[in-house]
Amino acid sequence: MSLGKQQTDFGKRFKYLMWIVVAIFAIMVARLFQLQIVEGATYQRKAENNFLHKSIIAPVRGLIEDRNGKVLVHNRPSYNVYIIPRFFTEKSYAKLRSLLKLDDEQIHHIEKRIIAAQGEQRYFSLPAVRDIDRNQLAILETNLAQLSGVRLVAETKRIYPYGPLAAHVLGYLNEVSAGEVKRLKGYHEGDRIGRYGVERRWEFYLRGIPGLERYVVDARGRKKSEAIQRRLLGSVKKRRFDPRPGYNLVLTLDADVQKIVERALRWHRSGAAVVVQVNTGRILAMASKPSFDPNMLSGRLSREQARKLYDNPYHPMLDKVLQGSYFPGSTYKVIPAVAALEERLVDPSEIIYCKGYIEFGKASKFRCSHVHGPVNLHYAIVRSCNVFFYRMAERIGMDRMARYARDFGLGTPTGLGLNSETGGFIPTKAWYNKNMPGGFRIGNTLNSGVGQGNVLVTPLQLAMVYAAIANGGKLYLPQIVDRIETPDGQVVQDFPQKIRRRVQVSPKTLNIIRSALHEVINDPLGTAYDARIPGIDASGKTGTAQVAKRGMSAKNRSDWWRFMDHAWFASYAPTSHPQIVVVVLIEHGGSAARVAAPVALKIIRDYFALMKSRGH
Amino acid sequence: MEPIFRKIRVQIDWTLLLVIMAIVAVGLINLYSASRTAVPGMFTHQIYGLILGFSAFLVITTIDYRLYNQYGYLIYGLGIATLVLVLFVGRTVKGSTRWIGFGPLQIQPSELMKVVMAIALAKYLHNDPTPEGRTLKQMAAPFALVALPVALILKQPDLGTGMLVLLMFFSVMLFTKLKLRSLLTLISTGAVILPLTWSLLLKGYQKRRILAFLDPSADPTGAGWHLRQSIYAIGSGRILGKGFLQGTQHQFQFLPEHWTDFPFSVWAEEWGFIGGIILLGLYLFLVLWSIRLAANAKDRFGALLCLGIGSMFFWHVVINIGMVTGLLPVVGVTLPLFSYGRSSVLTFMLGAGLLMSVASRRYWD
Repeated sequence: MSLGKQQTDFGKRFKYLMWIVVAIFAIMVARLFQLQIVEGATYQRKAENNFLHKSIIAPVRGLIEDRNGKVLVHNRPSYNVYIIPRFFTEKSYAKLRSLLKLDDEQIHHIEKRIIAAQGEQRYFSLPAVRDIDRNQLAILETNLAQLSGVRLVAETKRIYPYGPLAAHVLGYLNEVSAGEVKRLKGYHEGDRIGRYGVERRWEFYLRGIPGLERYVVDARGRKKSEAIQRRLLGSVKKRRFDPRPGYNLVLTLDADVQKIVERALRWHRSGAAVVVQVNTGRILAMASKPSFDPNMLSGRLSREQARKLYDNPYHPMLDKVLQGSYFPGSTYKVIPAVAALEERLVDPSEIIYCKGYIEFGKASKFRCSHVHGPVNLHYAIVRSCNVFFYRMAERIGMDRMARYARDFGLGTPTGLGLNSETGGFIPTKAWYNKNMPGGFRIGNTLNSGVGQGNVLVTPLQLAMVYAAIANGGKLYLPQIVDRIETPDGQVVQDFPQKIRRRVQVSPKTLNIIRSALHEVINDPLGTAYDARIPGIDASGKTGTAQVAKRGMSAKNRSDWWRFMDHAWFASYAPTSHPQIVVVVLIEHGGSAARVAAPVALKIIRDYFALMKSRGH
Repeated sequence: MEPIFRKIRVQIDWTLLLVIMAIVAVGLINLYSASRTAVPGMFTHQIYGLILGFSAFLVITTIDYRLYNQYGYLIYGLGIATLVLVLFVGRTVKGSTRWIGFGPLQIQPSELMKVVMAIALAKYLHNDPTPEGRTLKQMAAPFALVALPVALILKQPDLGTGMLVLLMFFSVMLFTKLKLRSLLTLISTGAVILPLTWSLLLKGYQKRRILAFLDPSADPTGAGWHLRQSIYAIGSGRILGKGFLQGTQHQFQFLPEHWTDFPFSVWAEEWGFIGGIILLGLYLFLVLWSIRLAANAKDRFGALLCLGIGSMFFWHVVINIGMVTGLLPVVGVTLPLFSYGRSSVLTFMLGAGLLMSVASRRYWD
């Protein structure tokens, strides 16, 4: 620009000034160049992040049914309140609080969640209040315009119609933790995940695949018009991916049998029972007491409820069938019996005299329950003579006995794959040498022979042992899932029965043991004779597992029950053509014959009555 | 005959008029888009403002600028009087008392004070030329001239306008030469006063804005929010922009109050780098043109008046665009003839009128 004719005395300063102005404008142009051309793509993405809202559409979780198609777990529609922290204001928070009359715990929960949401998470919808009722829904809907950053989402709620029935098998859900959101692919804050039982084990199949909807929102989180959606995000197909519902799970469980089992257990505070098909390994019923209500656990537990649950001395959250390991007591005697017969260390006619105890070394006395007098193998089982089995254990030896125990599947998990099943424990000489101050002693062998000492089994393991005895030596893999189906009923995967191995035991040995197990109930001298139910043809073995008496004192009477022995009964029926094996454990129940055997026999009675009524 | 003939020799500076009209037109187009999400009627309000401003422009232009020289101190006195009046009867919005009502018209006297200041300063310097450079002592009088309105404006408080008046003052003073020693003293005084201003004069929200500028990501929903959203808007416009009415940042309200302080972000989002360059080009031309008018002015008053007004346009553009692009802290400074607001439009139209008044009379003898 030419300056033209200058009429004042400012000299060249106008020219310099112009160059300064041009230079400063050049800086602004350079800045625009940097923002719009060099970094333009980045800011375009950031601007898109502003208006792009991603909403995860939860898939409908698969159903869980029993073997007869009875629905054990399903979903019902429910309305959940979500908040989008980015758009959630003080005002809408106050409004939401007063409309829903939120309590302190809920408020704390929501605030924790908002604080935890950082960065991109602030744009996601987070569940704030679940399963609001009809009135609350109506109230929120009419006030939604003033609730910035609040969304109402129609979803489903998991329902366990039978409440605590088979709770440990079914399990429950709850929300993923912040750590899991980071660790697990495909899970977002507020998603639910299986926490227990088959809900956890088969999470992948049950969950389904979440859908995603992307849509344009304004700064207050309001969804923009369809025309704007189409212009900025394209067709509906590009914006919305529908969720795929989860697969249904058909269990081997029979809800009616489960009810029979839980009814039989109803007078006992703590214990476990399992019913397994002898010739398939399929579990018909599996109960652990005390139980919990998955409906309650799948919601948000109040502090009071959580305290009640976790401070309960009977441990409701422990699946005693799979996670409880106990001394098997006399139920274990079938192992030394099999070992002694197979190794020809005893003749079925050999008689050992029981004077009520045996002495070993100088100070050790190993006691029997009674003075049995002369007993052979048969009566040693029928009358549960410890002295006889001390002698047997002595002959067999620790490690040989352990080998037989392991052959029957003891000492390792059965492979059901549920609830972090434990494997129990079968000790060996080497183990004692390594872990005990005095190393291995012969007394350890004697204790093992009667299922005490350091032998530990789970109820399910014991059931599989007795099933193998009943079916001629086939150790089945226990199964709880029969098949997995698509929502329209096509089988995705089925689980045929599976024999883990044939146990090394001859039919002759099994016949001797089976006839003795029959007499346990049917011989007037049998330990479970008093519990027998006329007309019910069953075989079984009692077991009273001693509990450590340490800490017991007269002063400490309020928890006397802790020092009561565990009562076992392991049985199968009918004797001639066994169909089911039933194992019952009553924790701190005291006498097996008086406490555990009646429960097991009632289960057997009711089971066959049920089968009869069904026309089998 | 002669005097009358002289008066008709008024020459209209078509170039100046064209640039002004171009900026006004572009500004209206932009406001149409920017105000779509605002309260209805904003666009028509701005048109009324422009009509008012243009009328003022015509009146100011018709009057011989030497008359402003003659009555310079009277105008200055009136300006100060209204500023004082604001302190007593002004309307308070968001903690600042800036507005005063003239009938149905709400006006910010502090805005108009910028134009008044340009006149007063030009008058003072017209009568007091110091070709060998001004000493500090000689600065005292003009400084007092500017300090009074600045103090009144900061009292409102209106940091942006106060700062702008100071910038205009120093621009003109530097142009009229300072002694090197005076310059250095000024700079060092500034270095002392700045932290003092920070701790004593600035209000909490002003401090937060400046801190947010220094680190916009530190406080994503607070003061840095505006700035970040503005940068996203501008950057996402890329080369060609998203198109008229298609800017997502303001249409979806991620960029709040974009019609007053952030209209450039709206413009750059919808029209891209190309649009930004065109607008900056118009402003650059206007500023250079006012320097050229200053150079061609017949007397010192005319020259310094053009420089004062030119510097007003210049600093408004630099500070506004600097702030929306994240080069400068966020202070409420409007973009000339682009931002919504009657006081702002009126101020710049008055300024343009003064430029035109000088321009039209440069060929007089």
